[in-house]
This record gives sequence, C-alpha cells and structure tokens, in this order.
Amino acid sequence: MKQALIFSVEEFSVHDGPGIRATVFLKGCPLRCEWCHNPEGQRFENEIVKSQAGCENCGACVKAGGGRLNEKSVGVCPNRLLRMSGEPYTPSRLFERLRRLLPILSGAGGGVTFSGGEPLAHPDFLQETLALLKGQTHRAVQTSGYCDADTFRYILGQTDYFLYDLKLLDPALHKRYTGADNAPILGNFRILCGSGKPFITRIPLIPGVTDTEENLTAAARFLRENGVKTAELLPYNRLAGSKYASVGRRYAPGFDENALPHARTDIFRSFGVEPKVLWGDHVD
Amino acid sequence: MTEHTKQLLAYLKKAEYRRERTPGMIDVTDEIRGKSDLLRDALRFRVMLENETPKIFPYDNFGFRRSRGDFAYYTDENGSRSVQWSAGNLTPDYPKALALGMDGLRAELLSKREADGGAHADFYTAALETVDAALDYADRYREFAKNHAPDVLYRALCRVPHGPPESFYEACVFLQFMIFTLRCNRNTHLGLGRFDQYMLPFWRSDLEKGVPEETLFETLEEFFVSLNFDADIYQGMQLGDNGQSLMLGGYDLNGQDRYNELSVAVMNASLELRLIDPKINLRVNSKTPAERFLLATRMTKQGLGFPQYANDDVVVPGLIRLGYAPEDAADYTVAACWEFSIPGKGAEIVNIDQMVFPKVVRRELFAHLEACDSFDRLLEYVKLGVAFDAGEIVGKHSGHHYPASPWLSVFIEGCVQTGKDVSAYGAKYNNFGAHGVGIANAADSLAAVREVIYDKKECTKTELLRALEKNFEGYGELRNRLLSCPKMGSDDDRADEIARVLLETYADALNGKPNGAGGIFRAGTGSAHEYYYSARNVGATPDGRKAGEMYGSGFSPSLTGRPTGPLSCIRSFTKYDMTRLVNGGPLSMELHDSVFRDEEGVEKVAQLVMAFIRLGGHQLQLNSVNRDVLLDAREHPEAHRDLIVRVWGWSGYFTELDPQYQAHIIRRTEFLV
Ligand code: SF4
Repeated sequence: MKQALIFSVEEFSVHDGPGIRATVFLKGCPLRCEWCHNPEGQRFENEIVKSQAGCENCGACVKAGGGRLNEKSVGVCPNRLLRMSGEPYTPSRLFERLRRLLPILSGAGGGVTFSGGEPLAHPDFLQETLALLKGQTHRAVQTSGYCDADTFRYILGQTDYFLYDLKLLDPALHKRYTGADNAPILGNFRILCGSGKPFITRIPLIPGVTDTEENLTAAARFLRENGVKTAELLPYNRLAGSKYASVGRRYAPGFDENALPHARTDIFRSFGVEPKVLWGDHVD
Repeated sequence: MTEHTKQLLAYLKKAEYRRERTPGMIDVTDEIRGKSDLLRDALRFRVMLENETPKIFPYDNFGFRRSRGDFAYYTDENGSRSVQWSAGNLTPDYPKALALGMDGLRAELLSKREADGGAHADFYTAALETVDAALDYADRYREFAKNHAPDVLYRALCRVPHGPPESFYEACVFLQFMIFTLRCNRNTHLGLGRFDQYMLPFWRSDLEKGVPEETLFETLEEFFVSLNFDADIYQGMQLGDNGQSLMLGGYDLNGQDRYNELSVAVMNASLELRLIDPKINLRVNSKTPAERFLLATRMTKQGLGFPQYANDDVVVPGLIRLGYAPEDAADYTVAACWEFSIPGKGAEIVNIDQMVFPKVVRRELFAHLEACDSFDRLLEYVKLGVAFDAGEIVGKHSGHHYPASPWLSVFIEGCVQTGKDVSAYGAKYNNFGAHGVGIANAADSLAAVREVIYDKKECTKTELLRALEKNFEGYGELRNRLLSCPKMGSDDDRADEIARVLLETYADALNGKPNGAGGIFRAGTGSAHEYYYSARNVGATPDGRKAGEMYGSGFSPSLTGRPTGPLSCIRSFTKYDMTRLVNGGPLSMELHDSVFRDEEGVEKVAQLVMAFIRLGGHQLQLNSVNRDVLLDAREHPEAHRDLIVRVWGWSGYFTELDPQYQAHIIRRTEFLV
C-alpha cells in the first residue's frame, strides 16, 4: 500500500501559492541543506519530537520506552511534551482529510500545496494523491527538484503549479552545502520550463553561500537561458535552527548565521529577471 | 493626521488629566429622600451634574470632560449605601436626538405629557427634570466655553444641544454632550450604533457646502480621540470594557448596501489612530465586495482586534425569527460587545445570565453516567440538563428590569410615547439574552466520553469519574488520551454533532420564552468574562480540562485541545443554524502576525473572512498576535504600554489587564507558529 509519513498539514499557509492553501508536509528528503529550518522533514523514518520548554525531567517517558524515547513514551508525559513527528497516511485518507477543506480552498482561488521534506521523494504516493485531487482544486508542489527525470515528468502531469527552489549553480558547492548533486535539479528545471506549466522560482539567500555574486549571477543567467522572467528571493531566516533540539539534533551551519544576506536585485535585473525579495532581513 | 490631532492624541496618552479629577463620591441622600424611583434617579442626575465643573483640555474642540472621577450615592432607609448602576448595554436613539435637538425632545415630552392626562405623570416629570438638568449643564458649559474653549466650540454650543446640529462638527459636539451626560448618569456600555448612517447627512451636506474633506476627517479623528478621554471612569470588568462600539455598513431590506464614504473614513481614522475606542464592527454579507474585506484586514493587521464582523445573511433573519419587525432587524447594531440589538428601540438586558455547558455536562455525568448503557441515553440526560438550566434562567430572571433611568429613556423609542421608563418596559423591545459559555469544552467532553467509554471501552465509567474527581491526579495517561479525542474546532463531526445537539437544545429551551417584561429570552454564544468566572467552580471535565481551567472565549475552540488549523476551525463553527443564536457571541481566532507580513498575506486573510461569511458564520473576530511579544509584555510591561489586544467583545491595553485575562490570551496563542 502506498503510504507516506506526513509531519504537518498547515491549513492556512499564505505564502505557498495562489489563494488560500493547505500545505501538506511530507516527511523525508534526500538533501541535507545546511540552512534547513525544517529538520523534521529530513529523515524518512518516524521520530519522536520533544518540546523543550517545561520538561520536569521526571523520567516517565524514558521509562515507558524501556530506557529510551520511543512511541510508547508519547502518551505518558504529564506535560504533553512528546509527539511522533509523522503520521502515516494513504492517498485516500489524505484526500478525505483535504476534501473537507476544498470548499474554502477552491472558493478562494486557492488549493493544496505539497511540501516537505521533499515531496518528489514519495512519487507514487504524491502522484496518486494529486490524481485524486484533479479537477477538485488547484494543486501545487514545492520542491527542490531533486529526482530523476522520469519521476519529475510523472508528477508534472498531475501538477498545476510548482514552487521550485534553486540553490547553488556550482556543482561542487551544491554538493558541499546540500549533500546532493545539482545536475538532476537543473535538468528538471529545464523540463519544467519546456512544459509550459506555471511556476515560481525561489532562491534562498544564505549569507556567504548562495548570496555571492558568482552564484546569483549564475542563477540569473540560468533563468534567462530558460526564458524565466521572475524570481523570488528568500532571505535566510535566523530562526532556522530553532527546531533542531526538539528532534534531538544540533544545528551547526558552516556559515555566519548573523551576517545579513545580500539580495543583489541589480544582478537579476541586468539579466532581465524581475526579482521579488520576500520577507526577512537583508541588504541590497 | 493633522498636527493638531497629533497634539490632542499626545495629551490623551500622557493621561495626566486623570490625576486632576476631584476624587470622592457625592452624597445625594438628602436630595432624593422620599421621592419615587424615577424622580430619585432624575435628582441624582441633577446633583451629579451640579457637582461637575466645566472643563476642557488643550487642543480639545469637544469639551464636556469629567471633573470628578466618581459618581453619586445615597444611603437608603436601612442605612446601606447604594451606588446604583443605571441601564446600559444598549444604543440610544442618536438619529432622532440629532434631528430634533434637546428642545425638540423636550417639546415632545411636554406634548405627550399633555396628551397622557396624568396617567404617567411620574415618568414625564422625571424625564423633563433630566432634560432640564442636562440643558442647565450645557448652558453652564457654554458660558464657560465663551472664555475658555476654542471659539468653534462656543459657537457650536450656541446652537447645540438645544437645537439640532447643522454641521458634522456640531453633530459630534451633540454626541459628546449625550455621551457625557449619559455616562454621568451611570448608563454604562452605551454603543455608538450605526454612526456611518446617522452622521452621513451631516458629512455630505458639509461637503456640499464646500467644507474640505480633510477638515471633516480631522473632526472625525478628534472626535474618536475624544471618546477615549474619560473612558477609564466607565470601565466594566477591565479598562477598555466600556461598550463604545460602533457599527459600519449593513444592508437594508431591499438588499441595498449602506456602506458609504463615511464608513471608509471611519475605517481610515481607526487605522490611523490605533486607539481602543471606538471599537469597530462591520456588517457584511455574502455579496460584500472583496476590497472592503481587504481594508478591514489591514485593520486586523494592526493587532487591535478590529473589526468584528457580523453577517447580515444570518443576523437579520435570526432577529426576524425572534419577532423583531423586519425593518428593525435590518437596522441592527451591537449593543456593546457583540449582542445584536436595535438602536434606539431596544432596552434589552442582553447578558442577563449564562448557560454554562460544561457545568451541565459534568453534573449529568456524575448523576447518570454509571446507569447509561449507551451514549445516546447519556446524551438525552445532558439535553434534559441543558433544558433544565435554561428553565432556571427563565424562572430566575422573569420580570427582571433595569433600574429607573429617565434620562436614558428620553432617547429610547417607546418610552417617550407611552410614558414608561425603560425600567417599566417602555421600550419597543424588552428582550433578555443569555451567554452560551464553554460550548467547545462541553462538546469535547461528551465526544471523549463516547470514544473512551462507549466506543472503545478503554476505561470504565467509575475510573473516569474518579479521574475527574481527583482532577486527573494520578491519571495523567488517561488525561492525555482524553486530550487526543475529537475536538470542536477541528472539523470533526464526532464533536461538532454533539455541539449541534447542545446548541439546538439550548436555543429551543430559551428562544421565545416570555420574560415577564413584555419580551422574550434569546440564546447567544458569547461568554464575556464568564470563560473565567463560570469556570472557576467547575471541576475537571472529560475533555482533559482541569478543575477551574478557563473555557474558550465566546463561540470558540477550547483552550485544551491542539487546534487543527483556521480552515477546520471555520468549518467547525459554521455547521449550526446560527439564526437561532442571535444574542450574538463571536468566533475568535488568533493568527500569527507573520501571516500579515506582506500584501499577499493580507489578501488571503480577507479571503478567509469571506469564506466564513459564505459558509454562514454569524460573527467573527480575528486577532493578529505574536506570542513572544505577549510573553515579553507580561514580563516587561513598561516596554509594551501601547500593546492592544482583543479581550472579549472589546479591546484593551494588554499591560493593564488582570493576570487571568492576560493568561487567557496567551493560552489562545499556544499553538500558533
Ligand atoms: S515525561 Fe515529559 S516531563 Fe517527564 S522527562 Fe519526559 S518529557 Fe520531561
């Protein structure tokens, strides 16, 4: 049975595509971007999430889990600090959940966005869910674009709109900061551009990493080559590290978190790409 | 905002004027001894005004400021001190007063007295006494203004309040006179009604006469600032709880949209001033254009909790269903917070008591759970319990009436015509309304009982009752289980269906029941401060709520469950026939302020409101909040003196709220990210 872990359904996400949207966050991602603000989305396996504030160190959770934290721990915390991150869904169950929201979503010109983690890492689940929603609402996928070309085409056919991330154009740097090769990402981007599907490109501005003159120039050139006329620039969120502790991890980015990212809208304009800087502190 | 307005605003915010007031209450025992109730009240009013010294502030073009910080009292025959509140929570007939002027109203009283032939002489005498007392003060104020106030004010006072105003400014001065005198009379929680309707003729004729719009806008803004000056004297439960609500827009019976250029000006003034008074309400329906919601959402973004939306598609038919004349129903406003009432015609006691749903559920559980072999049987007992409590409300308050209030009665249709004070049910409408408190906690409790006891048999009845008795002490795991059961606000029919049954039972048992005052009872969904008061003595409930823990505010999810999201919440709270619950009481929702950080977010919030209206919600109130800011404001109040939050039917300064209300607001934001 096709099944995926979903770690959140955000019902009123206002920056994930047109209109009022529900965004479904699928758990698991093949990339490990150093600046990722959603560590819950990275692992494919389910994991326990512990809110940090309010723990009395009573030990009940560890005891119930037989010496460690696990699913058995969740119900025993007197302060309700524990939960399982992911909830397993089949496409039809997820559809049932979303179906109830469709009158509001579709009435407002909105729809459903699939995000993550990396939704393309769950191709069959995603394809089937998108197919169920076909004709019912507007369907968007927010992605890093990292998957093989066949998978991408498979999903493309069932998607109305993409929010597509471009991070680093230099292959070596991409590998270093995200752990993955960027060739499939750039390749799929070309497929997307050739398909005529509407999409928006988002470039995260990570100080000293993606906001360099070289990278932004390469990105702008790449966009022009593919006939793309607009891009959204998303300044680094300094709260990115705040969720790591709750999944028992440490946030240790290899860049200066406190430096303000450069938006360099001038570079984009010089390539005929109109940039829109989204919320967040930055300098020009 | 003009320089002059800025200066006035700065003077208000310094709040020094509050310290200049003469302290102490006025003893009126001698003056009122041996008089009828009506006359007592009129005389008390006169003495009160006679003790007021005319006063005006720098940059102040309206005047009529309080020189004393307190009210009058008398010692009754038994030696106990009485500081009687007068009638309130209603809206005087401003349009009529503005049309006739006080001399016109006085003439009407005289002719009615004449025609009455003495049957209601007591009322007419008292009412005329109040008119004369108020006019005496107005005359005294005019003489003071001659030398101490700006010339514009003096010139206005040469016309109003004796005669009807001839300009927008004079109309504002007239309103200021009414507000000052009524509040001196201890008529509390008086709404401003449909300001954009009755003030529009003045606004338009001034424009036609060539008065620049900027001048009118300055007058409007300064009048709004003016409303904030003595509001601290008139607070109900907390500073800000004073009922100075104002209603904008609305559709007449032909579906004609009454929103106009003055409505827009009021919205813009409120946006610019960021003050807690007046509180903005907006009448809308499923056909209201999107850009109006957009402007309103910009107001929500500011974090004041304005506007509160009311849905004409629901409220008007609901009021007609209760027996209001269709043209009156179409003229509705909010009395003070959210209670739908008819301006100038209703002397209704809108919050006479409350149905406390979780209390009923708990009581019936302890009485009948053990014996009920099915959930449906249990639910039948709960329905009987709700009907029983509704019957108690009817029995307890039948024939209740306001204290005598001739000065207010002068401004209520029906009283002047029939010679009966509001306390003698002279008004056209004399209905009583009730709050409906804790509906979500109650529905969630029953949904949890059904799931863990009847459906899944995970716990015995005895065990559950014991856990409740022990306030979950030693039952942490059971409590966690209960907390994970279906919750109202998550679009889960397992909880929402129960809510529907409870609400219908409540409405059936209360709506239309005669109230011994020539009116009926009406059911509502508000809670006001009862989310705190009525929760204190109610023990733990099966939704996982611990003893004494607060309920949700008004018609909103509980504070106990983990919310699913705003869309589910809206669906959950629009499943009921709200035309049967038009005593009012909004769904309150908190949105994190980051939602509003760009125009895209603002547009989408506007669409969310439209969805609520389209789905048939009756009343909605949205808050833009940031939990971190609230927490910081609790720790460091000095750094957040300007922080305004919505509390229940009103907005107030966060740092001036009592801790339990601060805590409630913070709890409401717990799951916002
Ligand atoms: S059970 Fe809860 S409070 Fe106790 S140690 Fe575990 S997380 Fe902390």
